[in-house]
Amino acid sequence: MAKVYTGKDGRLLLDGTDQIKVTNWSMTGNLETLETTSLGDSQRTFVPGVQEFNGSATLLYYNDGTGRNDAATALKKILKVAGVTDSDTVDLRLRLVEGNTNHDVRLTAYITSVSFGASVGEVSSAQISFQGTGALTEVTI
Amino acid sequence: MAYPSIAPTGRSFNAGDYPYKTYKAQSGKEVRILYGDKRTGMTLDLSYDNIADTTADDFITHYDETKGGFSSFTLPAAFRTGWTGNTAAIDAATGNAWRYDGPPEIRSVRPGISSVTVKLVGVL
Repeated sequence: MAKVYTGKDGRLLLDGTDQIKVTNWSMTGNLETLETTSLGDSQRTFVPGVQEFNGSATLLYYNDGTGRNDAATALKKILKVAGVTDSDTVDLRLRLVEGNTNHDVRLTAYITSVSFGASVGEVSSAQISFQGTGALTEVTI
Repeated sequence: MAYPSIAPTGRSFNAGDYPYKTYKAQSGKEVRILYGDKRTGMTLDLSYDNIADTTADDFITHYDETKGGFSSFTLPAAFRTGWTGNTAAIDAATGNAWRYDGPPEIRSVRPGISSVTVKLVGVL
């Protein structure tokens, strides 16, 4: 059956936990190319170089009544007294759901920037950016 | 093994000169004495970007076989790939052969891929 995916199908899992009140996420994969064009060639040729993956997401700054605040958990990956260390990577899964099937891109990443604030007449939200480290750990899109 | 027969990704040639000396009098008069009839001292810089490590190491093998800059050699036609002028114009001039003007430089780009730079000089 034909299927158009919308924001309703999107999920964001951080360290295995389905994040609540995510309003958007996006990711980008880049491949560096190395030029191998030699003298005499008429068209440029390339070989693959290194890859990188990064992206961003926005979560409402929301307390579900049990003390759980996923936006705060993400923010604390950077907003911490002790500073960021090698162990502050997160396991991210960017997911589109189709019935019982999950279409995932999974990666280990550092949260590289966070921002949040409060404005009159607006819901407070947190914007996070992440930078993948190493290879993707799962791709089921 | 012979010098690797692959097309370079960059090439720079300097034609060298004939051997002569210049004497200049206090009056400004200049006298030049030609000591040979063959042009020499041409230089050739070749670069091979983003080639396989297994090809890059051929340059070191050849460098060892020529005992570095000690022995001279000729180059395969591949070095002038893309050149449509007179083939002799950018090669070692008559009576000359190439020798290494310095060790080949290998810059590792990523696993399995390197770039090589070679500097040659023409000698009689």
